[in-house]
Amino acid sequence: MSCLMTLTHAPYGSQDAKESLDIALVLSAFEQNPAVLFLDEGVLQLLPSSQMPSSHKHIGKIISALEMYDINELWVEQESLDRFSLVADQLSQTVNVIARGQIAQLCAQYDQHLVF
Amino acid sequence: MAGFLYMSDLNAPVSPAIPAVGSNSLTYAIVVRCGSHQQSQALSAFQFTKEALLQGHKVLRVFFYQQGVHIASRLRVVPQDELNLTALWQQLSVDHELELGVCIAAALQSGIVDRQESSRYELGSDSLASQFTLVGLGQLAAASAECDRLVSFGGN
Repeated sequence: MSCLMTLTHAPYGSQDAKESLDIALVLSAFEQNPAVLFLDEGVLQLLPSSQMPSSHKHIGKIISALEMYDINELWVEQESLDRFSLVADQLSQTVNVIARGQIAQLCAQYDQHLVF
Repeated sequence: MAGFLYMSDLNAPVSPAIPAVGSNSLTYAIVVRCGSHQQSQALSAFQFTKEALLQGHKVLRVFFYQQGVHIASRLRVVPQDELNLTALWQQLSVDHELELGVCIAAALQSGIVDRQESSRYELGSDSLASQFTLVGLGQLAAASAECDRLVSFGGN
């Protein structure tokens, strides 16, 4: 069983980013090999951040733990990066950049697709 | 599954299941991530689950996460002319021995506690509605591994 998780929430401002990453970690602990696609404001989760609101868990730390949990397949949508004038080199992780037009094909490779 | 959105009478007693024929029967896991205030999405989750059961499909577990945990509170008071989603889920659970799992981490943050957690944290009272159980996120992962279809409602 393989699962693609699409994360669309900015890292802070709500618990959404944290709660969706929690699911990714648990899926991996249950050996379901989740891949993660960062989309829209979700790409902001990949920014190296030195400052974060004290009311939230540090999203960057969870992101950097993904590799330890064997979540190695990370995707970022090109158009979402463009929207925030970002390039992949600026992100905290090594990611695969994918064009919007290819996302349907990406989804088709997985048994399940969870969108957050 | 066509037509599940068009159920007319939500409060109608549950009739004996119309068995889905042989190979058409599927195993579902349902995720509810929207609270009762997002009425239409939360209602869709209930209607979908009920209709799946009525058609003879199996529902492994309903997993309440994020805002969805509020549905598991027994302390909600619903205006008389509005649907009580908590009661609807409870009845469906009784009728079909349906497992209603609530993410324990999200629930505790929202003041949804069972007796055990209430005494562990010395809270003085509990608030989890009957038929609902506090479980870990692992129960979602396990259900998603076992099911044919994972269907998620709300959240965005």
